[in-house]
Amino acid sequence: MITQPSKSLSPAEADAFGRELDALRERVLADLGQRDVDHIRRIIRLVRYTETGGRVLLHLGVGPLTFVLGVTALGASKILENMEVGHNVMHGQYDWTADPALDSKTYEWDIVADPAHWRHSHNFEHHTFTNILGRDRDVGYTFLRVSKLQRWKPLHLLQPIGAAVLALLFQWGVALHDVHLDQTFTGRQSFAELRRRAAPVLRKAGWQLAKDYLVFPALAMANAPRVAFGNLLANGIRNVWTFAIIFCGHFPDGARVYRQAEVVDEGRGDWYLRQLNGSANISGGRALHVLSGHLSHQIEHHLFPDIPAARYPEIAPQVREICTRYGQAYNTGSFAAQLGSVAKLLVRNALPTPA
Amino acid sequence: MSTPDAGLGRRVQAAGARLAAAASRYWFLDRHAEFWLRELGSTWSVTASRARVVDVIDETSDTRTLVLAPGGRWPGHLAGQYVPIELEVDGVRLRRCYSISSGSARPGARRISITVRRVTGGRVSTALHQLRRGQVIGLGQTGGDFVLGAPASPIPTKLLLVAGGSGVTPIIAMIRDLAAGAPRDASAPHGRDVVVIHASRGTGDAIFSTELASLATRFRWLRLHARRSDDVATGGRLDATGLRAMVPDLADRETFVCGPPGLIDVVTQAAVDLGAGHRVRHERFVAPAPRLVAGDATGAAAPATVALLRTGTQVVAAGPGPLLAQLERAGQRPAHGCRIGICHSCRCRKVRGTVEDTLTGAVSSEPDQDIRLCVSIARSDLELAL
Repeated sequence: MITQPSKSLSPAEADAFGRELDALRERVLADLGQRDVDHIRRIIRLVRYTETGGRVLLHLGVGPLTFVLGVTALGASKILENMEVGHNVMHGQYDWTADPALDSKTYEWDIVADPAHWRHSHNFEHHTFTNILGRDRDVGYTFLRVSKLQRWKPLHLLQPIGAAVLALLFQWGVALHDVHLDQTFTGRQSFAELRRRAAPVLRKAGWQLAKDYLVFPALAMANAPRVAFGNLLANGIRNVWTFAIIFCGHFPDGARVYRQAEVVDEGRGDWYLRQLNGSANISGGRALHVLSGHLSHQIEHHLFPDIPAARYPEIAPQVREICTRYGQAYNTGSFAAQLGSVAKLLVRNALPTPA
Repeated sequence: MSTPDAGLGRRVQAAGARLAAAASRYWFLDRHAEFWLRELGSTWSVTASRARVVDVIDETSDTRTLVLAPGGRWPGHLAGQYVPIELEVDGVRLRRCYSISSGSARPGARRISITVRRVTGGRVSTALHQLRRGQVIGLGQTGGDFVLGAPASPIPTKLLLVAGGSGVTPIIAMIRDLAAGAPRDASAPHGRDVVVIHASRGTGDAIFSTELASLATRFRWLRLHARRSDDVATGGRLDATGLRAMVPDLADRETFVCGPPGLIDVVTQAAVDLGAGHRVRHERFVAPAPRLVAGDATGAAAPATVALLRTGTQVVAAGPGPLLAQLERAGQRPAHGCRIGICHSCRCRKVRGTVEDTLTGAVSSEPDQDIRLCVSIARSDLELAL
């Protein structure tokens, strides 16, 4: 939510804005050290213990209590691994440590999406062309209408259902994102090219499905149906949570999209302004920040994608102060408020915009 | 044995290995194994080599020996070789090579030692000096050809070992080897004839001086000359004249010298002058500094030679722009993305050389460092893993 729109800045003002943010970035980078590595290792330790604990409860337990506890622990583990560990490590936030376990180029995450695809479509395309219509394929993920600047099509009427389905199957949406399925439907991409792009995804998905629905259940023997169902639920929990956090990142009321013509000759300050005005934060406690992989600080993440995310809450007051001085809106709100505004947006844009 | 069967067996084996590697990767098996091994405090590792510090011995005021127990199976090494040591300093894993100061060890050996001088401002040596018993460090692969003889061939009988400062570390390993293999009866005639010149600044920083003196007393075949550059009574700093006076049969000896560049030059030149340059082997601890290219008035870097290690080629990085643009102009196609330092797609390993970060102005000569080509400019010749 924003209370009033951002001021339009002159080139000189935008430049000064950029330089202040650059200086903030340098201060943080110079301060990185043992505590940042210790943090991510603590999270990784939490991921391992909750995964092991969750699976033990599912495999060896009987009855509904151990099932619920097991699914909760496993779901929490998957959420942390996906968001605080996987997404942040693959951004290169910990490359400076030279620890091979934290290397962005080799990290493999526990969802069906291929890391190389993700690094290309997210790190490069989404973070460079954030919210530019026609360039950032995260704007509505090519099938949802999230801005009235996007042309309305009759299929958009179904988009509330489409969004709900995407939420339940979100890891598959992420996996297919760089495969450009939509372009094959519209004829812009050949089937041969689709097969080539999809090959790593099919490979990864095959191993993931085997792990969750063949191997682990087989190891559980009598508890096989319980384990398979528990894995399905844990994956579903992770899917819905990541969907909710990510959709609150760029679609709440006040976050703007850009036309390509508006971003010609973008200076560094203008780039920062687009990152700021296209993103939205979620206010909350430490648990929310960690479980969201610090995407509760989507603004700070988009300004500084390769700074360790645990630093975002520390620098948020300084970012906010700089924004105030330059008349820029700082979009933040509670989880309920931001998610509610996203739901309203999806419903509103499902209908054609009145002329 | 018929060929088709053997071929099939090999193919099955190769397919099996590929399947195992894929399973390990997609089911996170090695990641889990690594994590739980570390949680249990073990030095075993599936992917890395580690060692536990079992003893700490202060040799001089600024030099310390660390006795290490390798976690995995020690591959074995010859006296004079080095091992890369990996240590995390303020969150960053740094790696430096240290000569192994204990003698040769067979595969499976349980103890090795390194002797480290604390360098002012040296991040790794300072951190090594803060290690206590029980702590764990990383080990790389042993290497180096500064050894007394090839593994299968005998050690030459007439030797000259010249050690300067911390250069005594591989030399003491060689002497400990020789002492361990020497006959118990020191008075028995023996073909071996070893002259050791131990050079240091003062007596206080002569590492292992007591041990060397006692070995020289025990073994007739070992003659020790101590040279302290700040003590004229010992002859002062070693020069060619002094060297020839101490070792008149220099040309007949296999010479091994390790120490500061000046010492290496003196010994090498003296041998070359006597036509015995081929009998001198040396070990440098300080790599020759890469030629630094100064910028011009506009701040642009002068052309630098960039060695691309993966393809084995060399290009000249010249003209305006960061390394990415320069390499593209030289006909290369490095991976890239946003080209503004955000997405890390152009990240690659700089094995050697000095670069400047165009966003921060920071200049770094750290070896084996990852850099983003789109925001780096060369400040010296470079070696890139491209």
